[in-house]
Amino acid sequence: MSDLISAPKTSDKPKDSPTFWRKYQGMISSIGSPILLLILWEIGARTGFLDARILPPPTAVAVTIWDMIENEQLLQQTGVTALRFLVGMIVGTVPGIMLGLTMGLFRPVRVALNPLVAILYPVPRIALFPLVLILVGLNETSNIIMIAIGPFFTMLITAMGAVINVEPIYRDVARNFGVKPRQLYFTVTLPAVLPAIMSGVLVSLGLALLGTVAVEFLVSTKGLGYVIWNSWQVLSLKQSMAGLVVAAILGAATYIAMDWLERWIIPWQRTVTKR
Amino acid sequence: MLDSSARASAEQVDGPSTGIFIRDIEKVFQAGDTSVRAIDRIDLTIAEGEFLCIVGPSGCGKTTLLRILGGLETPSRGEVEINIRHENRPVQSMVFQEQGVFPWLSALDNAAFGLQARGVPKKERRKQASAMLKKLGLSGFEDTYPRELSGGMRQRVNLARAFANDPAILLMDEPLGALDEQTKMLVQDDLLKLWEESRKTVLFITHSLDEAVTLGDRVAVMSHRPGRIKAMFDIDLPRPRNALEIRNNPEFIEVRRKVWEALRDEVLFARKAEHE
Ligand SMILES: Nc1ncnc2c1ncn2[C@@H]1O[C@H](COP(=O)(O)OP(=O)(O)O)[C@@H](O)[C@H]1O
Ligand SMILES: [Mg+2]
Repeated sequence: MSDLISAPKTSDKPKDSPTFWRKYQGMISSIGSPILLLILWEIGARTGFLDARILPPPTAVAVTIWDMIENEQLLQQTGVTALRFLVGMIVGTVPGIMLGLTMGLFRPVRVALNPLVAILYPVPRIALFPLVLILVGLNETSNIIMIAIGPFFTMLITAMGAVINVEPIYRDVARNFGVKPRQLYFTVTLPAVLPAIMSGVLVSLGLALLGTVAVEFLVSTKGLGYVIWNSWQVLSLKQSMAGLVVAAILGAATYIAMDWLERWIIPWQRTVTKR
Repeated sequence: MLDSSARASAEQVDGPSTGIFIRDIEKVFQAGDTSVRAIDRIDLTIAEGEFLCIVGPSGCGKTTLLRILGGLETPSRGEVEINIRHENRPVQSMVFQEQGVFPWLSALDNAAFGLQARGVPKKERRKQASAMLKKLGLSGFEDTYPRELSGGMRQRVNLARAFANDPAILLMDEPLGALDEQTKMLVQDDLLKLWEESRKTVLFITHSLDEAVTLGDRVAVMSHRPGRIKAMFDIDLPRPRNALEIRNNPEFIEVRRKVWEALRDEVLFARKAEHE
């Protein structure tokens, strides 16, 4: 045995090859793990290790998705869900942001409305559904309200907190350099709170999707949530699973879109981690 | 009106006729039913074109004094008179600590911020701001966001913002406090060069004796809270100064020792008060 400590052997390969791995490492491993899971699932279902009637293999689900696309049922249902989700998201986040900013900026408004928020925010939202149905009626409006409530409160609280927590030094700098109080809002407050608002929107996306599927489970006769729930009730598990997969794809797609939007809206936030 | 000879003799007796005149100011902060007297009857004259450094134990009211001059606080008593020619330029700009750089603006937009607030046209302000960044060794980083810059570079952006605004007076509050020792010396050297060519009136607060003696024409020592001016030292080291070499100068070492003697008791007192 030798006590010699030697430098690690340098690879014989050309220097370019490890950089390829390094460059795409993140992407390969993030795609790799779900694919591995799907392969294991497929093998399990085919070898009988998993009961294919309860957990149909991914290929069977894929075939079902294709069939459902062919008879035009799936695209239509997806469209219904996507539209509800989008409208609910906008109806919830935009007023939530506006009211949150207002409450953050103006103390009297905050003092007046905070107790209301404190009472309403912790109520389990799904428990409000019967009340909304009674007040608004069994229609699309009440569905949208249910989807919008989560994003609304999330954005209200995020935006208000962000305004209150703006570093005072930013306002001091702006004031010292002669920015007028009226312009303070656009030069300092808004850019300073944007990162927090963007992460609030990301949270709201998840809540809105959850709300959409929940509403479709409960009252709707259309949409992916309806497909998932209804197929499950008639024990058509392949179709239920197909609906689930499409809902997951819808969710993932919005996250990717948001990520892209975030890089565009707050370019100064991401720059370090991207290197 | 005084005739010129009378004014000249008045100057000999009372000090300069142009500059910043701080007369008997006091600041009391009211928070609920407790009140803190931050500074107490400060009398201080800073001549036009002078670089005055202020040192003092932490919590003695240095920042408060500077914020009063910067228009961010009003004194509870006394007055500040600023009698400095500034024509079309702003009277004063502050240099804050490093966190005062806006993370959402590029280095160039940060440097041009004061000019933009004053309504200088885009092309003109970009020209001035990028010239200032260049002087501070930041050319090539115009479009970089602060987060991507090192602490020293960020602090240079901060200086560039104040110098590009071209005010008559610069008010600096421990601007280099967060930098490591070597970077600090390099930025001090940049600051010396910028100041020696522009000769603005500067009030510079620091907790570093070396920094105060390196940069200042005079160094004022403040007492523990409520802060007063306890002692004043002339720094007769020749200019242009070199921040990297000056510390070995025997005169530097001598005057630094004297300043420390005045400051030591105040620091010890402030520490004792803190422990009670
Ligand atoms: N806005 C404020 N409200 C209440 N007290 C303050 C405020 N600003 C400063 N003080 C108090 O005034 C004293 C002097 O503070 P400061 O001027 O920041 O000291 P220094 O800059 O010398 O460390 C401290 O005791 C501080 O707590
Ligand atoms: Mg301070």
